[in-house]
Amino acid sequence: MKIDGKEFEVDGDGFLSDPYIWNEEVAVLFAKYDGIEELNEKHWAIIKFIRKNWEETGMAPMIRSICKDTGLKLREIYQLFPLGPARGACRVAGLPKPDGCV
Amino acid sequence: MKDNNSQKHKAIKILSESKDNKLVTHLNSCVHCGLCAESCIYYLTTKDEKFIPARKVNLISSLYQRYCTFTGKHFPFLTGARNLNEEIIDEMVDQLFGACTLCGRCNMHCSVGVDISYVVRAGRKMLSEMGFVPATLQSTVNAAIQTGNNMSIPVEEFTDTLSWLEEDLRDEVNDPHASIPLNVQNTNILYTLNPREPKFFPLSISAMAKIFYAAKEIWTLSTSMYDVTNYAYYTSNNNEAEVIAERLYNEMLKLKAKRCVLAECGHGSRAFRWEAPNYLRKSFPFEVITSVELLAEYISKGRIKLDKNLNKETITLHDPCNLVREGGIIEQQRYILRNAANNFIEMTPYGIDNFCCGGGGGQLSMSEYNERRMKIAEIKTEQIRKTGAAIVATPCHNCVDQLIQIDNKFKLGVKIKTLAEIVADAIVLE
Repeated sequence: MKIDGKEFEVDGDGFLSDPYIWNEEVAVLFAKYDGIEELNEKHWAIIKFIRKNWEETGMAPMIRSICKDTGLKLREIYQLFPLGPARGACRVAGLPKPDGCV
Repeated sequence: MKDNNSQKHKAIKILSESKDNKLVTHLNSCVHCGLCAESCIYYLTTKDEKFIPARKVNLISSLYQRYCTFTGKHFPFLTGARNLNEEIIDEMVDQLFGACTLCGRCNMHCSVGVDISYVVRAGRKMLSEMGFVPATLQSTVNAAIQTGNNMSIPVEEFTDTLSWLEEDLRDEVNDPHASIPLNVQNTNILYTLNPREPKFFPLSISAMAKIFYAAKEIWTLSTSMYDVTNYAYYTSNNNEAEVIAERLYNEMLKLKAKRCVLAECGHGSRAFRWEAPNYLRKSFPFEVITSVELLAEYISKGRIKLDKNLNKETITLHDPCNLVREGGIIEQQRYILRNAANNFIEMTPYGIDNFCCGGGGGQLSMSEYNERRMKIAEIKTEQIRKTGAAIVATPCHNCVDQLIQIDNKFKLGVKIKTLAEIVADAIVLE
């Protein structure tokens, strides 16, 4: 997958093949690909919490934990990441694609 | 590529020792009229002939010819019979897993009534016996079997999420005693969830909890078995499908609930309501219904009061294939929307002739075929665009996710909602 001239190795759904090569620049470019032109403070709070949770537990956090940690309302999170917490936020945070109906 | 003769032998046994007369009949009935081509979203969007549903049937019938008929065994070149080898396995994986949403639209258009998706599922079963299920699909089945739900949610995080939603419910209905009951015995209803609801999209849980509250229902959720999905239905591995279905069956008996109500989930409804008695080889001593039927019942019996002026935006409806074409639940969702919304309009075509969203048959979880999945979605996109609706309602969480992606990719500017969310928004509490 190519964004702004940079090449990324991703799975069929556009999730990073190697989550460990993730950095903030990747987040900015992946978000841009989804139509999010600029990541604001709230975006970053969500991304950083998801990333931290994954690094510590190997799992994407529950939406409840994301709301609790960031202090954001549920509906705000869906507005910030129109593709939702999984295909939107987790992908931008460099996680592998979660299993299930997402 | 695995090359294991005993696995191949098992796959062929599905055809040769089959007591399934339906399969044998349907494998040998295609008259090659080609009507199925124009019914299939893969063929319509690509015009690639390998996607014609009859071609998919042909892959399996050529193996049947080779291993199960006299001429095919001795003179395979006369009948178009093919050996089960690497080449045909690759084609089967690509076309039966990678290019079919099991939407069943071809079955409706077949001139001789071949149940094409039934045959495709038999082909998937052969691939499953040989270990050729796409990794991403199998991983969702494994998660369900190993952890009890297909997103591997730990019990504690599940219960924390529900108490968080319970607090919201109390605020919403302004009643400190409103609750989301857990593991209660002898209730009228054991309600189920798609794990993506507690994990990422809980608005539909809040909506159902509000509806149950308004209907004064006696209901419960189970913390040990609530997963309505059964991805082994997609892999056609009946042993694994049985393990998953039996857990919900046992939970119903353990909690002694009268009715099992299936969350808005197309394949999950099909797998537990219509397939599970076959997986488990027994009839169920309790009632199983979909939440779509329950919502219609609440409205028709006056158990909930709705004000449709509370949903002013134009709403259109996407029909999930498994509920509508396969399950025959067609009118209830329309009845619900006419009662809960001011302006409900149909897309074209709709009901049993509706087009799949593109995410069915396990496609949503198979990253391997993501590009195709978004290509076939062009049809649904145009259907939605032509309605001019602001909201697309659909009683299936899998369809919801596919529609969210369609909305984002094709810039439709619509909101995607479950029926429960729309009903909950229209509720007038007494």
